[in-house]
Amino acid sequence: MCQSRAVPLLALAAQTPNLYSPRPGPQAASASHKGFFETVLDQYFGDYITVAAFLGMGALLVAGAVLASAALRPNNPTAVKSQSYECGIDPVGGGWSQTQIRYYIFALLFLIFDVEAVFIFPWAVGLETFSDLGMGVFVLVEMVIFIGILVLGLVYAVRKGVLRWE
Amino acid sequence: MNVDYHALAPEIILGITVLAVLVVDLLRIPKYWTAVIGLVGLFAAFVPVLTLGFCESLDFCTEPETAQRVLFGGSFVVDTFSLVLKGLFLGATAVALLLSVGYIEEDRYWQGEFYFLMLCSALGAVVLASSRDLVTLFVALELVTGPTFLMAGWRKGDPRSNEAALKYFIIGVLSAAILLFGMSLVYGYTGELTFGGIRAATAALGDSALLTIGVILTLLGFAFKVSAVPFHFWTPDTYQGAPIPVTAYLSVVSKTAGFVGLLTLSYQAFAELRDVWGPLLWILAALSMTVGNLIAVRQDDIVRLLGYSSIAQGGFILVPFGAAVAGNVTGDQLEQAFFATVTYLLIYAVMNMGAFAVVIAGANRLKSTLIADWGGLSSYAPGLAGLLALFFASLAGIPPIAGWFAKLVMFSSVLGVDSGWATALAVIAVLNSVVAFYYYAKVIKSAWFDQVPDTIPAAELRGMGRAVAPSLQFALVLTAVGVLVLGIFPNLIADVGDVAKTVAAGF
Amino acid sequence: MTVTPGWYMALAAVLFVIGATGILVRRNALVMFMSIELMLNAVNLTFVAAGRQIGLIEGQLSVLFVMVVAAAEVTVGLAIIVAVFRRRSTASVDELAGMRG
Repeated sequence: MCQSRAVPLLALAAQTPNLYSPRPGPQAASASHKGFFETVLDQYFGDYITVAAFLGMGALLVAGAVLASAALRPNNPTAVKSQSYECGIDPVGGGWSQTQIRYYIFALLFLIFDVEAVFIFPWAVGLETFSDLGMGVFVLVEMVIFIGILVLGLVYAVRKGVLRWE
Repeated sequence: MNVDYHALAPEIILGITVLAVLVVDLLRIPKYWTAVIGLVGLFAAFVPVLTLGFCESLDFCTEPETAQRVLFGGSFVVDTFSLVLKGLFLGATAVALLLSVGYIEEDRYWQGEFYFLMLCSALGAVVLASSRDLVTLFVALELVTGPTFLMAGWRKGDPRSNEAALKYFIIGVLSAAILLFGMSLVYGYTGELTFGGIRAATAALGDSALLTIGVILTLLGFAFKVSAVPFHFWTPDTYQGAPIPVTAYLSVVSKTAGFVGLLTLSYQAFAELRDVWGPLLWILAALSMTVGNLIAVRQDDIVRLLGYSSIAQGGFILVPFGAAVAGNVTGDQLEQAFFATVTYLLIYAVMNMGAFAVVIAGANRLKSTLIADWGGLSSYAPGLAGLLALFFASLAGIPPIAGWFAKLVMFSSVLGVDSGWATALAVIAVLNSVVAFYYYAKVIKSAWFDQVPDTIPAAELRGMGRAVAPSLQFALVLTAVGVLVLGIFPNLIADVGDVAKTVAAGF
Repeated sequence: MTVTPGWYMALAAVLFVIGATGILVRRNALVMFMSIELMLNAVNLTFVAAGRQIGLIEGQLSVLFVMVVAAAEVTVGLAIIVAVFRRRSTASVDELAGMRG
């Protein structure tokens, strides 16, 4: 039912290579002189051995670093040293504290601009395909307009004093 | 790339206007310029709507080969139907903007932002009229509703306005989530996003439980947006708490946008699934009319009354959909049902905007929206009382005013169908018209025949007609002329009948 | 056992129902809002799973739009909730000096 695609733009994107082609499965490299069952078992345990090897190396590295520092450093515990660390200042009050409302406005602004960037990724992926079709300039201008509108929003926020820390 | 810029011109002009309002708001010039630019932009966007509509008689206009201009692979279609609705949205927004000018200026804050948000919302509505694709429809719909959440809470210091915004927001986002889940199921089953593709796929694949759930959820999402009973509970609170011009905007533009989505989805995308949406919308229509009217009878606040009245009017607008319940309904009859809904939407927009304009003019002076306080309005403000009578009579459906023609078309579309269900719905609609007549007449009676209450200083209020702001006067004249002209020369709308032919073609 | 797109759809349905239940049960505006976000994410999962099943990219593209619209709604919604909190908790705002932004 999908032959008559009415969405050339989207269909184009669907045809771009490396975007949606599933990786070839592990079965592709099956050796011919072994039986099927043995091949599967080999791959199965082979994967586990790789994981185990990395786990072992990771554990060795951490353990080595901790042991080495324990062997090298001087040992002189005081009460101040066992305090929890908070920007170098003595921690005051509980863990739940009020946050400045100003952070909030910054966060909202950041959120909206951050998420708008999501449209740039598919555009960047598709740009080459479109420029091959001779529509490169058109597509580029489209994005310039899009970003221009976002910049206008940012200028608006700056001029309205939203980004001022007062 | 070949883009039909003429077909996109209304959206482009409106988009530039939105940005211009934003920039002007930053400049150090009086804020009323933002409103002026907004109005100019709305009228400028109206020009390409006209040139597109009368393309065949214009020299410079290259006509498309078919009756409609299809853009972006079928996601965006410009045809008579979408042009009529674009005109409606632009006109209604212009009136809402005129209504807001005095009101927002009085509050003295954030004028530029207000008009910016209103124009953004209008841009969404204009795009919505053309969207024939699930994603475009969704983005356009959210562009319509998103700014209105903020507009509803514009009076930040007023707890009622806060409450209105919060309730409206929670329900609005919830309905968006439900709508989207339905859309994702429809997409999952059909593999198509465009309405044409969905229709072809459902015809080929047949029915399934997944598809049925998807369609029902999608339509329920819209039921929230058009505040059909039982998804209406946010409406009265939001309408009462929001600034009155915003309420006018919500009850006309935002609501019509919801109906446009319902129309295009059910008559195009889900055209093969009439046995799913027909009964659903039949029930919603019957419930909305009955519940909306019965609760409206008990209201003593005029804004809340108009809120419930708009729920009931939404029920009347849904009635033609109910005609599709019958299995033996013909293509012609479906076209008529479509035509009836569009006609009702057009007339409803004009008369409801007018009613709100009167309420704003009265409330500005009286500082009260209680119906009892409006008693004897005719003794000190005869012009306003006359307009009140005109718009409320139109809402009640009294000939020869426009509301009567809307009801006539609505009834004839349902009665033409030879089915017990359609007849039953018509009977319910008749009974409701009687109830509606009662409470609309109550307001008119209060304004014309009651005594002025002691609490109202009538002597001071004399000369009220001259005290109405010029922008408001303009809006009142515009809507009053619209209601009268559409009522006396309904054949102007009959041309919209072509709409039905282009959109519902293929039944 | 292979995990087919059908399982993702089922998971999405479960997430959606959890979100809907959250709306009905909780009365805190912020928590209700979080429930709605959960429902929107269920939608995203359905779109991706369906797109994967059919082998088209539209499903993933739709998710981008849903995400951006949801982010815009978060911004609007949190602004409204802040406005409401400021108004409703006037008594305690004096104690919380940080709230005077």
